[in-house]
This record gives sequence, structure tokens and C-alpha cells, in this order.
Amino acid sequence: MTAENAVLIPRRSEVASAFKQQGGLVAAVLPIHYPRALLLAFNILPMEVWGPPRVDVSLGSAHLQPYVCSVVRNALSFILGGGLDVADLIMVPHACDSLQGLGSILLDFLPPKQPVIPFYLPRGGSQQGEVFFAEELRFLYQRLEEIAGISPSNETIMKSIQWEEVADELLARLHKQRGRLQFKDHDFYRLIRTREYLPAEDFIDIAQSIFDADYEGQQEGIPIILSGIVPEPMGLLKTISEFGARVVADDLACCGRRLYPAGRSEDPFFRMAERILGGPPDWCRGSPIQDRLDHLHRMIDATDARGVIFYNVKFCEPELFDLPDLRQGLGDLGVPTVSIEVDISDPLSSQATTRIEAFFEMIR
Amino acid sequence: MFAGIDVGATTTKAVVIDTDKTVLGRFVLRSGIDLTSSAKESLDRAVAQAGIPRDAIQAIVATGFGRKNVPFAHDTKTEISCHGRGCYHYFPEAITVVDIGGQDSKIIKLNTEGRRIGFKMNRKCAAGTGAFLEEIAYKLDIPIGDLNGLAQGANNTAKIGSYCTVFTATEILDRIRSGEVLDDIIRGVFDSVAKRIVEMDTLTGRVIMTGGVVAFNNIVAELLSLRAGIEVEIAPHPQEMGAFGAAIFAEEL
Repeated sequence: MTAENAVLIPRRSEVASAFKQQGGLVAAVLPIHYPRALLLAFNILPMEVWGPPRVDVSLGSAHLQPYVCSVVRNALSFILGGGLDVADLIMVPHACDSLQGLGSILLDFLPPKQPVIPFYLPRGGSQQGEVFFAEELRFLYQRLEEIAGISPSNETIMKSIQWEEVADELLARLHKQRGRLQFKDHDFYRLIRTREYLPAEDFIDIAQSIFDADYEGQQEGIPIILSGIVPEPMGLLKTISEFGARVVADDLACCGRRLYPAGRSEDPFFRMAERILGGPPDWCRGSPIQDRLDHLHRMIDATDARGVIFYNVKFCEPELFDLPDLRQGLGDLGVPTVSIEVDISDPLSSQATTRIEAFFEMIR
Repeated sequence: MFAGIDVGATTTKAVVIDTDKTVLGRFVLRSGIDLTSSAKESLDRAVAQAGIPRDAIQAIVATGFGRKNVPFAHDTKTEISCHGRGCYHYFPEAITVVDIGGQDSKIIKLNTEGRRIGFKMNRKCAAGTGAFLEEIAYKLDIPIGDLNGLAQGANNTAKIGSYCTVFTATEILDRIRSGEVLDDIIRGVFDSVAKRIVEMDTLTGRVIMTGGVVAFNNIVAELLSLRAGIEVEIAPHPQEMGAFGAAIFAEEL
């Protein structure tokens, strides 16, 4: 039996319904970083919205410039089309200008039925940034108090943080040991992306069951690293497998860039802040390009990856600003790279498939 | 004997070679919508030209946009690998291959050992490809085969502001209405193709052009040479270079 057959991955809608039936609330959360533990301390389940793909974008397009990425375009379309009606609130972290713009549209022009909470991340990882972020989390606490009608204690928040830390530790182990688990890339990403909507306790159960089972052997294939925002369309992952390669590590905003370390502070707000700010380098927290380059290089060294696929969402400006320097830096180190740009709603084009195959022919 | 079949977006090419990599037969036809039939027919015609029985073909490699639609091929390779491999046979040194096909344009860099060290390919846009030239010829109601001759006779190169296929066609019609010379405009259209290539990547080492566009429009190599400031050569049988490279891979199976 392989690991992918052993794991039943619950659907997002089922998880949301079950959580609400037990008296909880659901928050639709836009990318990328947010305090999952704080929401769950209020018995609010965060349900992340990375697009989603395959929605009719005409509703959102009527309110957005043509150069806004498909993650934001699809999200607005999904909201306006009633796809997020199950949510009791919508949270919009200020990851980039387009997401901030989405927050403004929802607050000022197209207010949905739910309250909308913008959320600000500090740029840079300084101590002042941590202080600012802890304050922002306290402000968020007050907004959640108004919505949920409860005031969780510091002890409750700390307990929620500890659950998240256990879940994140298991998530990191899954990333690290992926080659031993016999998951094909497509199934592996379906599994780890349950972190986008499962309560920590449920994710822990699934992850633990995988480690408890006895899976032997090491996967074969050309080892590569995937960098970008989100592995959509997920057809990419099947294409990678078909061409005899496998993803051995990732620098994806929705996956590898959210391997948060455990915190140290006894203050729950500072602890949440230090966890999120202590994650892998990411442009939306103002990480220097050199830090991202060093991070990629460390991953390559640790995994013997033979190349990097930059799988970017079209019009994701912050990601595309960094891209030339990252490719140049890796090229200087002798690491081959290829850049594929996609719209998350479109299937992978034949040109993109050819470029990926040609890349594997080159690094094989 | 070995065969390579390049099922492109516009044309399908087949090449038959012997163990010395000498071309014995080659054939080109429109790909149409039944790619498998086109591949079969092009191979049959190339085999007939080679004057050998079909069962003398020991191995076949398919390449191009429709490479997965050739069920009788023994293997597939991307056209990027095949154009590189074919050119390296004729130019065994560090080369940059510029391939302009019906739907794709590519820049392929090989080192002195023939190993590919990088490549660039256009995205989902017809600018700088054969489809761009076909559309311009259609809009101007000029046989596509006449474009090269018109451009060769031009005294000037019109500066085409946009290389989006749709907007360029509109721009050209505006220029004709304002009295510009057609030959100069056509030369400007070819120059926009060369400009698109120069913008894709740097051209280093010996630069070799392949593909159907340059096979019928040598003006592109001339204009690319002017744009890049280096000599640009056209490969032997440029339109069938992908199929030829595929045939070499077949011989190496």
C-alpha cells in the first residue's frame, strides 16, 4: 500500500460545515501570512482562499485592472458569486498591493455580507517590526472579540499556539521526509495543503498516521525545487512526475514559505509575531533578495536538487521583481532554472509543458 | 535507417537518415488537425524519397508540438533538444540556435560539447513567429511567399511600433493609408520579428537560424544580424532541422 492510498483527504466545504455545526465560525482568509492560532482561539476556523482556480472571473474583472493577478481576481469573483457565503468574516492580510486593493474594494465599494478585516504585516524582521506586529495582533484580537462575542484568555491563546506549533513541526517533517513517503508530488501537495483549512488537531492526526505507517524506500526521479506562489494549476505536478522528475523541496508561498518555527516568548501575541516573522524569507515581509537566494541555495545543498522551476502567477509583481535576480544568482552558482508563468484558472499550455520537458532534458 | 518526425503547429516534417547521418529523404506537409495522419504521411513520403522500404526504418523519434500524437514513434524529444542536436551535427562548436517556427520562437544555447546550457522560448503570444507573418500577409492580401521578395527590395525599414499581431496589422493599414511604401513596411514587419528575438536573450558564439520562417524568408537572418551586430547563418535544410535532430536521436537509441 502506498501512502497516498492510505490518507483520506477531507474536502474544504465538508470541514467548514462540520466546524459550524459544532458552534464555530469560519473565516475566509486571503494569502499569505496570518495568525491561525488566534483565530482558532476564538473558535474561528481559518479557511484560506488562494484564488480559487476555475471560477468565472467576469464578476471580479468588472472591478479590477487587467494587470491584477488571478489569485486576487478569482477571489473577488468567488466572493461576489457567493462562493464564500459560508464564511462569517473575511480577512485580507496586506501581502501585496493587489491584496491591499482587494481589501479596499471590499471595505469601501463592494461590502460583502460579512465583516472584512484588513491585516498589516511589518516589512523587515527587526525588533520594532515584532513590536508592531504584536500590537497589530492585539488590535485583531479586539476585532475578533466583536465578531465572535467571546474573549479568550492568554492561556487559551497559548494552548492554541502550542497546537499550531505541533502541527507545523509535523508539516516540516513531512516536507523533509517527502522522498520516503511514496507520495507522488500531486498527492503530496494535496495532503500538505490541508493545512490551509484543517484545524491543527485534525492535521496532526493525518500527519501522525502517515509517520506511524511503515513506508519504505526512496522515491526516484530528477530532484528539483519548486518556487512561486501556489502550485496551481496542479497539472504541473503531474507533468513533473510524467517526465521522471520529483519535487524535493519548495519555496512556495502557500507551502514551504510557511514553515514557521516554534516561538519562545511567554506572551502569546509576541509569540505569534516571532513565529510568523521567523519563517523562511519572503518578499511580503520585506526579506532581502540575498536572503531568498541563500535560502534557495541551502535547499539545493540539502536535497541535491538539479534545478529550480519558478512557477509564477502572471502579474504577481513582488514575485516577478525578485525573479531576475534570483535566476541570475542561481545561474552564477551553476544552478539551472526555468520560469513558467501561469494564470491559475487556465490549464497548463503546451508551450509551458514543452519548456518544462526541455528543462528536464537539459538537467537529466 | 532512422527517421525523425517534427509535428509542428503549422507543418509536419519527416527526415530519413542513414548511419552516417546523411539525409536520404525529407518531406514537409501542412499539419492540419489530424496530427497522427500527417506524421504518417510525411514519413511515408520521406521514405519513398529515400528509395527504401518502410521496414528499413529501425527507429523513429517524434518531436514538435504534436510529438505525443505519433504512436508509432519509439521515443519523443522536445523540439528544443532536436534543433540543438541537428545544428550541432553541422556546427560542432559552441553555438546559439535561433529557431522560428509557426507558433514558437526559441533561442537554444549549446556549449562546445553540444550540451544545452540554456534556452528561451516565447510564451502564449504569436509575436515573432510564423503565425505573425501569416496574419500580416492575410491582412495585406499578399501571398506569404511574396513577403521576402518585397522586403528585399525595400530601401528603408519602417519602424513598427507594436509587435502584437492584431495591433501590428492595424498599424500597417494606417501606414498604407498615410502613403508609406509597402516594401518598407514589410521589411519593418520582418525587423519586428528580429527585434523580438533580440529581446528574448543575448546571442553569443556562432549564431545559426533554423525553422520554417527563415527557410522561406532569409531577410530575417539579415535583419537579425543587423540588430545583434553579429553574423547570423542559416542552417542547411532549416525547416527540417528539428526532424533531422530527431532522426539523430533515433539513431542513438
